[in-house]
Amino acid sequence: MKAVKGKYYFGGIHPRDGKSIAKSAAIEVMPAPAVAAVSTYQSMGKPASPVVEAGKAVKLGEVIAKADGAVSSDVFAPVSGTVTEIKDIVSASGKTEKYIFIESDGKDEKSFLPPLTSPEADEIKERIKAAGIVGLGGAGFPTAVKVSPAAKVDTLIINGAECEPYLTCDYRLMLEKADEIARGARYLAKALGVERILIGIEKNKRDCIERFEAYEDIQPVVLGRKYPMGGEKQLIYVTTGRKIGLGKLPADVGVIVQNVATCFAVCEAVELGKPLYERVLTVSGKAVKEPKNLLVRVGTSVKDIVEYCGGEAVKIVPNKSAEEGAAQTVEAAIKPLKIVQGGPMTGTALASYDVYTHKTTSGILLLSEKEAAADEPTPCLNCGKCADVCPMHLMPMNTAFYSAANDFNAAAKYGNTAYCIECGACEYICPAKRPLIQAIRKTKAYLKNKDKEVK
Amino acid sequence: MTDNSVVVSTPPHVKSRRTTRSVMLDVIIALLPCAIAGIVFFGWRAFVIEAVAVLACVATEFVYFFILNKGFAKKCKDAGAVCKRWLKQFDFTSIVTGLILALILPSTVAWYEVLIGSMFAIAIVKMLFGGTGKNLVNPASAARVFMAISFAISTYVAANIPALRFESGIFTDATNLAWLFPSEGNPTTKISVLDLFLGTGVAGCIGETCKVTILIGYIYLSVRNVIKWWQPLMFIAIFGFAAVFFSGFGFIATGGYIFDMELFLPHIFSGGVLFGAVFMFPDYVTSPKGVYGQIFYYAVAAILVAALRYLTKLEVTSFVIILMNLFVPLIDKYFIRRPYGYVKAKKPKAEKITPESAAENLIEPVDANASAAPDKEGK
Repeated sequence: MKAVKGKYYFGGIHPRDGKSIAKSAAIEVMPAPAVAAVSTYQSMGKPASPVVEAGKAVKLGEVIAKADGAVSSDVFAPVSGTVTEIKDIVSASGKTEKYIFIESDGKDEKSFLPPLTSPEADEIKERIKAAGIVGLGGAGFPTAVKVSPAAKVDTLIINGAECEPYLTCDYRLMLEKADEIARGARYLAKALGVERILIGIEKNKRDCIERFEAYEDIQPVVLGRKYPMGGEKQLIYVTTGRKIGLGKLPADVGVIVQNVATCFAVCEAVELGKPLYERVLTVSGKAVKEPKNLLVRVGTSVKDIVEYCGGEAVKIVPNKSAEEGAAQTVEAAIKPLKIVQGGPMTGTALASYDVYTHKTTSGILLLSEKEAAADEPTPCLNCGKCADVCPMHLMPMNTAFYSAANDFNAAAKYGNTAYCIECGACEYICPAKRPLIQAIRKTKAYLKNKDKEVK
Repeated sequence: MTDNSVVVSTPPHVKSRRTTRSVMLDVIIALLPCAIAGIVFFGWRAFVIEAVAVLACVATEFVYFFILNKGFAKKCKDAGAVCKRWLKQFDFTSIVTGLILALILPSTVAWYEVLIGSMFAIAIVKMLFGGTGKNLVNPASAARVFMAISFAISTYVAANIPALRFESGIFTDATNLAWLFPSEGNPTTKISVLDLFLGTGVAGCIGETCKVTILIGYIYLSVRNVIKWWQPLMFIAIFGFAAVFFSGFGFIATGGYIFDMELFLPHIFSGGVLFGAVFMFPDYVTSPKGVYGQIFYYAVAAILVAALRYLTKLEVTSFVIILMNLFVPLIDKYFIRRPYGYVKAKKPKAEKITPESAAENLIEPVDANASAAPDKEGK
């Protein structure tokens, strides 16, 4: 069956993709950390509430925090050992999160759920919830909520676009674990009761497309190379030709999108009974010594990960010391200008390495000065390039203009800010280097507060 | 392991290498063929005008920066630091303004007129409104209009060039427009289209004469993605048809209305229309931001140029540019882009998207969890 494809004419950018840095590194299992610090805030919605106390012994995969409400997910112990303390830490995004510190005993005693063989739809749904699976693409929306849509769904789209630059974890996963992803996709399809499974892969991942052509029930859709091709609305439009109305959900047009890493996690949860306590992430950037794709436990500190990858990169510079017999060249460290958690277009900049990974952390990037431009903004020229590349067809320059004058109502009105997906394309392209995303977030925060006041 | 060298900011953390400077540098490169052609056709006078205009514009910007900022006395003390700061923020826009101004002037203007015009363009039209990106109208066209009405207007209307090969009296206009509009007292001796295209032996302004160089500039700007390729083409096409339509009225006296498509090419190749379409109308600062607004802007501007040309028999591109520039804020206000996935409201009233209806659609609270979350799902 040929997919009806929509054309993605307007909007989108072609960023320098930087994928070649970590593309060829096969997925490596990183040893469990000595101390894991697991945040209870691992998904969209409410943070989970801890069910362990300091001093309690936990096993690998044991629930340490229970989901609080419908939109929330369980949190599991990523190592076996003892809970040392539970304390509040201000995380990279500025939120205060509760962290559970677990000291590993190095034994990794498992406490998994029972594996399922040929499960029914309800069993799969139950398992997805019990395994605490969230969307691993970056937003972390609980998958359990997604597989119980309100509207009738007829298509499952697997998101293998990975249009974010630098990140290669999904690419490696598709290459190495295609079978598991396919099986996970089938479980998801069964849970949803859909027949049609599409997998959207950008055309620069030719080998992955070939890998998925082997499956009869999964149909690969070749996507053009464009950012943000993997944005949900864009992906659905390109693969099925269906347009999601403003403020509507994918389920309203009969589609559910799941990331490849989520499918892999579902497969493991169903077949091995393994809860979501580890994930594949990319360590990349010109300022890291050995770029890698690692299978990392949730709660590993960024410091450990960077150290495991050989620390900061070095470059060879001519030796300046005039000593007799000194080497001609010496090594100098390339200091990262930015440490990014997630992808370079949507990720969070970290102030230090003292940050712990979440379920949703898809990458740790150490960007050198050359890669991460941090130019001073110059006056806006009104060139309109931000509007040209906006995949949501908004007017970011208007938002920036009015929000700078603290007129947030006008900013939202003329910039249509409420529909922004914060993909970052506008700020990427801006020749004046205006902080557009900052303006958009400010305006959104204002709108959110205003809604609250009305209620 | 960490120190203060790490930068924390909102995403995106990678950005394109394009800067305002590089965009402006591209415009300068695109203008160079026109500038060189001007020197070839009009000799050292053209060179003097170009040099005076560019230098005057840059100098005016510098002086303005130096004087009209806080702490003049302090600035005089450490002038070196101020110069450095100025250089750091200097984005080549004043060079572009100066070059464009020189290229839309006839070669017969006096150098001091160019000097005053350049100062007017930068100090009053651009800097007084807030500098780069804030000016309401195109500084170069405003300066040209200012010069035309301040100094001997005849210079601007009746510039002639040494190489004029035709009998005097026929091509007296700055940009030889009269022959396009046949009337009784006006012999319709035709200039060959090729001459118009190459700029050989026709009267005109320094940079507007040789259309080949303008086309080179157009191709360069389009390839470098500085302007949208369709904008000048659309403008030229609409202008051409409108001009042919209007000039048809000229034949009524001699025997009925003729829609003479033979005049299409001569119309678009004469005067400053082509130059304006490529270098002045798409000016970022003074053109609308949305696509629909841009279509409206170019269409109205093209018809206006054609109509005013027919009525006045003068070169009016600069006037129309200023006129349309002043409408840009209004256009931006009323042509709002629909977000992706916009569904036409069922009410017949809301078919046209006005600010009011857009606001209504907007204020509806979007369920933050439900819609924002899955959007980020992909990478």
